[in-house]
Amino acid sequence: MTGSLIQGIHHYCIGLSYLCAFLLELARLLWPANGWRVAGLAFGAAGLFAHTAYLLVNQPSPAEPYGSVLWLAWVLALFYFWGTAHKHAKQAWAVFVLPVVIGLVAVSRVLLTATPETPAFDAAAWATGERFWGAVHGVLILLASVGVSVGFLASVMYLIQARRLRKKVAPGTVVPMLSLERLETMNRRALNFAFPLLTAGLLVGSILLQHGHALSDNWLSLKVLSTAGLWLVFLVLLYLRYGAHVPARRLATLSIASFALLLVALAASHPFAVGGAK
Amino acid sequence: MNLRAIGCNVDSAAVELREKLAFDAAKTQRALAELNARFATEAVILGTCNRVEIYLARQETVAPLHVPLMSEFLSEMHGVPAAAIVPHLYEHADAAAVRHLFRVASGLDSVVLGETQIAGQVKDAYEAAQKLTATGALLNKLFPEALRVSKRVRGETGIAQGRVSVSSAAVDFVQQVFSTFEDKTVLVIGAGKMGRLTLNHLAELKPAAILVTNRSPEKAAASARDCGGRVVPWEQLDDALVQADIVLSTTGAPEPIVTRRRFDDKVRRRRAGRMLIVFDMAVPRDFDPRIHDGDTVSVFNVDDLARAADERKAERRRHLPAAEAIVEAEVTKFVKEWNTRQDGPVIGKLTAEVDKLRDAVVSQLLGKLNGKLTDAERDYIEGAFRLFQSRLLHGPIAALKESSREGHSGGLREALRKLFGLGE
Repeated sequence: MTGSLIQGIHHYCIGLSYLCAFLLELARLLWPANGWRVAGLAFGAAGLFAHTAYLLVNQPSPAEPYGSVLWLAWVLALFYFWGTAHKHAKQAWAVFVLPVVIGLVAVSRVLLTATPETPAFDAAAWATGERFWGAVHGVLILLASVGVSVGFLASVMYLIQARRLRKKVAPGTVVPMLSLERLETMNRRALNFAFPLLTAGLLVGSILLQHGHALSDNWLSLKVLSTAGLWLVFLVLLYLRYGAHVPARRLATLSIASFALLLVALAASHPFAVGGAK
Repeated sequence: MNLRAIGCNVDSAAVELREKLAFDAAKTQRALAELNARFATEAVILGTCNRVEIYLARQETVAPLHVPLMSEFLSEMHGVPAAAIVPHLYEHADAAAVRHLFRVASGLDSVVLGETQIAGQVKDAYEAAQKLTATGALLNKLFPEALRVSKRVRGETGIAQGRVSVSSAAVDFVQQVFSTFEDKTVLVIGAGKMGRLTLNHLAELKPAAILVTNRSPEKAAASARDCGGRVVPWEQLDDALVQADIVLSTTGAPEPIVTRRRFDDKVRRRRAGRMLIVFDMAVPRDFDPRIHDGDTVSVFNVDDLARAADERKAERRRHLPAAEAIVEAEVTKFVKEWNTRQDGPVIGKLTAEVDKLRDAVVSQLLGKLNGKLTDAERDYIEGAFRLFQSRLLHGPIAALKESSREGHSGGLREALRKLFGLGE
């Protein structure tokens, strides 16, 4: 009975739960009362439960466009729940994180529809070496994606906060947010975390591509070009931050651009899912 | 419940009267002793710069204290004619008195909505009265509850969020820029009064260092002594600006001391993109406003802080309905719990009295019929009397509980005591 219930979980259940949590969080900001927060967290927890159950039951491959986007959404959902329930309870954390989570769930749904025959994550086959390097590449890129997404969220919040300060808006009269310093640190750490992973993921991918293990892509495919573009953007970001000391606002804008590239890279067809390393 | 809150506040009485009615420690002690001795009442006196209030709780069997009586008492204590006091006193009774105290403790009745100082003052007033054994069952339950409600209101709504004075609004702006302060340096330029007030608030953030500079080395040294800072020579202002994270400027200079050009040429580049927040409290302004970019450098002047403080006040008002809802729910809960607690002994006594009466009648009856009844018939008769008793008492007990729920069971409890001879 429980098994069939869990198997019945769809993207809609997950997305709608997160959407309700988002709307309740908005209500909390408009009409402050603790009840909204509790109700929002309850829906968020329900969404996270459904999301986790869906991933466990269907085991979408993180090397597939749809799987990687759904896994990324799950990590960000954890990030949302941890922030809202514990770390940033008084900030408008959910208002920024949940739209990204909902968007990613929707994108994964679209990608699933486009490729209904997506293979499930075969952990055994990957661990034994049949698709090992493909898996390493996929996981590295996925982890780097988490960093890029966190950097994106921090950047969006940074730009809004900086705009408020530029306009001299009274603190706390609108959506409560983290300080510029905190957001800048978050963005920097996300960049520092994502860049080595992205570099390693790209290297593994390049080697696989060089040896002809990637059946679905070539050097000029959208996937490869967008991922290489993302890496270049990161390189520029690192230089601007540590070499040129440009204002954090410009770095935030570039971080947002890198997230757009990431979405393109994730949505583009993955070269190592179908054949993998042989 | 026989509770009264009688007093005056900033809305009902001018400061001239309030200051005459103010209680110092000695007067409070004397007044509480007098109230206890003369009126056999529990009492707490709450005196702040905005209010003088006396909370009085008496037995339900005696008449409540009222405004004319209390104005006589205040007149006696302070030597002010009672006629001058009466028109300015308000009186809240029972549930309304509970509501009033909950609102006062939560800062909902304060001039600055949501101010937090009042909770401490309520606590002090209660502890002072408790120390003098002027409080009893009701006030010992009411005041701790009021403090709990105050905490709940502040914790669950934004009624106390943000700073609403001009000098303290700076702290809110600083917290929009920085999250840690133990590694930050505050630079104070000049020695204006507004600057000192603002510095007091910024010092609460415990910055790593406070630098003070002034055209006059003597004034700089004096300011540094006051705030525990270090003097920086006026000639090294640019270096100090490079080093600082937060600047507080309050000189009396007729022209800006930090022009855009000076800042861009001698400060901005050397800061390597580090964030700086400047509070220019001087009029005319000390910093060229064009330095402000809302990213690496944010400059706020007195008007910006005043506007922020005003907006904060408006923002707090937005939280008022949620705060009032919490207070209302807590008042209902308190009154219900108190009345239920008071009902318990009355219902217990009533049941015991009627039990005794029933036992006496049944024993007498069964004694007369001794030998003529079977055991089953005896049980039947005893059961019938118990049922009769239960039906007889159902009405009064249900009515008492209903009155308690509605918050006015005192009269009915008293009536039951008298009707059934239950005593005190």
